[in-house]
Amino acid sequence: MLSRYCFGTVFAAAALAQSPVMPQLPKGPAKPGFDIARFAPTAVGTFETFYVNQTDPLKKALDEGKIAADTRVLVIETAAGRLVLITDQMTYHHIAQGRARNKDWMATF
Amino acid sequence: MVPTIDGKLHHFTNAGLYDGLFTLYDAETHTLWNHITGEAEYGPLVGRTLGPPGNLLQMNAKQALEQDAKTEIAISDRVYFAGGKQFGTVGGIGGGRAGGGQGRANQGPAGPNPDAVMSDRFRTTLGTEDQRRPRMELGLGVWSATVRRYYPVARIRERGDAFIDRLDGRALLIYIDPESNTPAALYVNSAGARMQDKDVMLDSGSVVRSGVLLDRGGKRQGMERPQQIFTRWYGFALTFPGSEVFGQ
Repeated sequence: MLSRYCFGTVFAAAALAQSPVMPQLPKGPAKPGFDIARFAPTAVGTFETFYVNQTDPLKKALDEGKIAADTRVLVIETAAGRLVLITDQMTYHHIAQGRARNKDWMATF
Repeated sequence: MVPTIDGKLHHFTNAGLYDGLFTLYDAETHTLWNHITGEAEYGPLVGRTLGPPGNLLQMNAKQALEQDAKTEIAISDRVYFAGGKQFGTVGGIGGGRAGGGQGRANQGPAGPNPDAVMSDRFRTTLGTEDQRRPRMELGLGVWSATVRRYYPVARIRERGDAFIDRLDGRALLIYIDPESNTPAALYVNSAGARMQDKDVMLDSGSVVRSGVLLDRGGKRQGMERPQQIFTRWYGFALTFPGSEVFGQ
């Protein structure tokens, strides 16, 4: 059985684990007109960048029912050709990064 | 955009809000970047750009396939819905967030919400706003090296959903795609345009069908688009101060 001390430790650790970690900001410089006082940071991990390691033919995804004809998508051009990202997913990720034909790409939404 | 700086890949996350828009942050230098222009705004890499930005076009999956049969898709582990089914294993898609105040006209299931109200968290990050248009109005922002212009959706509707404007001396088709309900801009060789059912009919005899430009014989034509973004007025106006507004 856990002692009271142990419970306290567990709760303290849980509280620490839930403390939001904010992005570490440098001390400038700022682009002319940029006011860092208006920047509202978001806790690290709130949004996860989508690192794209695998792509599949869109037609295959449609044929297999993984996506519907009317599913809203975002289309970017990479060095390997056109790539579709699912809009619903990008409203969470906001950022997708990948590499195609030895060229890195990034999409932001 | 290109996340490579001086030959080294940088890793970006959404670090917070500025001017009501999400801000890019790279783990390598902790620089803050504008997610529309790719310009460094705060930190050691100020003066650098993650360019060229490139277009992120909005459409539906059928249109994407019709435009290019070789199109690939990347699907993450996040929950999404397609054909009435739920896919993905990890939650976190805020359906209620859609259109909830971001400059980019984020999408809900039926597209962006034209009646969205900006939350205080976003509002407190705004700079001096351009009062020429309502803050949350939806529209298409187009820009080139010399021109920044905003086309409110209402103005495009007033023109019958399709018309020809000029950008840098070239004819530019501005239209609202009838399938995705998304405004878009496309360079064309035509003096006039009108909507007919789901097609954009050009005076030249060409037609834009499901996002594909076809000549009068039905043959596919090459398509060139200016830099563009479907966004709310405040997002475009604060990113490009003093930009033109079509029709005023």
